[in-house]
Amino acid sequence: MGPLVGIVANPVSASDIRRVVANASTLQITDRANIILRVLSALRACGVQDVLMMPEKSGIRRHITRAYERAANLKEDIFPQIHHVRQDITTTVQDTLKATAAMREAGCKVIIVLGGDGTHRAVVSQCGSIPIAGISTGTNNAFPKHREPTITGLAVGLAAMGRVSDTIAFEGNKRLDIKIGGRADDIAIVDVAVVTERFVGAKAIWKPKNFRELFVTFSDPEVIGMSAIAGLLEPVSRREPHGLMVGLTPPHEARMRLNVPFAPGIIGAIGIGEVKHMQPGVPVRLEFPAGTIALDGERELAFDQSDDVTITLVKDAFRTVNVSGIMNYASKQGLMKVN
Amino acid sequence: MSNNPFPLPKEKLLEAYTKMKTIREFEERLHIEFAKGDIPGFVHLYAGEEASGTGIMMHLEDKDRIASTHRGHGHCIAKGVEVEGMMAEIYGKATGSCRGKGGSMHIADLSKGMMGANGILGAGAPLICGAGLAAKFRGDGGVGITFFGDGASNQGTVLESMNLAAIWNLPVIFVVENNGYAESTSIDYALAVDSYIDRAAGFGIPGVTVDGTDFFAVYEAAGEIIKRAREGGGPAFLECKMVRFFGHFEGDAQTYRAKGENEENRANKDCLKIFRSKVTKAGVISDADLNKIDDQVLARIEASVQKAKRDPLPTQKDLLTDVYVRY
Repeated sequence: MGPLVGIVANPVSASDIRRVVANASTLQITDRANIILRVLSALRACGVQDVLMMPEKSGIRRHITRAYERAANLKEDIFPQIHHVRQDITTTVQDTLKATAAMREAGCKVIIVLGGDGTHRAVVSQCGSIPIAGISTGTNNAFPKHREPTITGLAVGLAAMGRVSDTIAFEGNKRLDIKIGGRADDIAIVDVAVVTERFVGAKAIWKPKNFRELFVTFSDPEVIGMSAIAGLLEPVSRREPHGLMVGLTPPHEARMRLNVPFAPGIIGAIGIGEVKHMQPGVPVRLEFPAGTIALDGERELAFDQSDDVTITLVKDAFRTVNVSGIMNYASKQGLMKVN
Repeated sequence: MSNNPFPLPKEKLLEAYTKMKTIREFEERLHIEFAKGDIPGFVHLYAGEEASGTGIMMHLEDKDRIASTHRGHGHCIAKGVEVEGMMAEIYGKATGSCRGKGGSMHIADLSKGMMGANGILGAGAPLICGAGLAAKFRGDGGVGITFFGDGASNQGTVLESMNLAAIWNLPVIFVVENNGYAESTSIDYALAVDSYIDRAAGFGIPGVTVDGTDFFAVYEAAGEIIKRAREGGGPAFLECKMVRFFGHFEGDAQTYRAKGENEENRANKDCLKIFRSKVTKAGVISDADLNKIDDQVLARIEASVQKAKRDPLPTQKDLLTDVYVRY
């Protein structure tokens, strides 16, 4: 067997309350399947013969199977062989965690991820040193860059086939580690937001009066979500060693207010407090006494006065595929020339 | 700072638990009583699904209408229909909610906004469009909510109603209570468009999926959706993913289930256990408080069964009364 590429496609991303409270998009299952088919064609065009996929039962697999049948009927040999991770399907984040761990065990060269920031975070928690390539199919997609998936597939294919050196193909990323009472509880790859709601409930966060603290690995004024607050204050690139922390207050109490697109289609005033750089390896203790910690846009961890909560920025915590770098290298070196 | 981290005050949390526990014990008792052969007709039990109906109905008032399903006992109780009248109705007694003429699948109480359980799958959806249209004309901020299962979601009536609700911008919410089985057919087989959110999007209706075993997830999402509908934001779709503890109907051998599935559901997906764990861990309500409610609910269910058994049947002269009702 040649190099193996993993694919984790979350079939239920982009289905939370932000469809109602904002006009967030819905990506249909057939569209998700079509994205994967485009990626698969690109991988095969680069010589990848085998792909290991997360199993799901929300329809993606069925649509892909039909496409494979049609390709066989038309005698088109354009797709790699698909293998599925053998695991029970729970239709929860456990599916992503287990499948990613299995892909790591199976020695995948790269894992392609379809989802939003939350799905990417789940994969990063399990992928170890295996690079990931993100395709945005979620609500807030600050982490995966918007790009035609065929190009992502080509870049992954070239990297997986060893046509590009690791130094060009992959790059390191920052991560935020959350510890409660000294115990490593979770991670975030874009932002950690502290909100006053003290229950997890419907998970999404969309009420600015409840925002209190924000920590980001990078900040970009062109993205949606909590990290957009930092992006509009001080952009920090993914490659810079530091992150940013921003104190947040109810808008009516704030000295400075900023209009921020903190959810798709929602631009609202956010009360801004102190803005500081966050240095890697230095734990920062939460100042707000009780609330919920939202990781990459979703409430995950409730805490109260009895909990000692720290956030630490970690450098070079995981690797991603440098699609732009690979494709530019491919252009210069003529990697796509047909002999 | 309040010690209560939840979006409801303690008395409302106790009310929600009481409703969920009442539904659970009502259904657990019917499971036993039906096996004795004293209950006419069929019963379809809602046990395991309590967080959905209760999480939604905690936002509703009597003026808000719901259209229920064949599995409607939980919706009735959550909407405020009296347990004693329901039990008598299921026993076919003259003291029942519908004077013994409806039975399990036709319990209704318009004074509570409960338009009725319904033996026809997917039939609640067009009815709720009517209720939604009336609320829109009245301009009183009322909403209509229709429940259906993953099986009934494939009925034309549901799809037609979603279209109607969208074009008329009705204050209507479509709730699919997805317990994974249409009677005995898995949704893995029976759904051509595999995501309910995709279907709703096809009508331009925003859709949300929540964990239907978590009362707080349902409560929060439903709250936003209902508020939006009251204020003129139009229809929405809510999928509550959940489990049912019993078969499709009482007597269902459930051979379609995986080995150990029911045990797993009872152990790890019990919405009452999940609720209890959350509120007691947060220190808002004690186990003793909840145990006291458990005892009260059990006593009420026991009394309702005994009364239903004692109550008289309708007589022949009642046959042609209450055939029509003014809405």
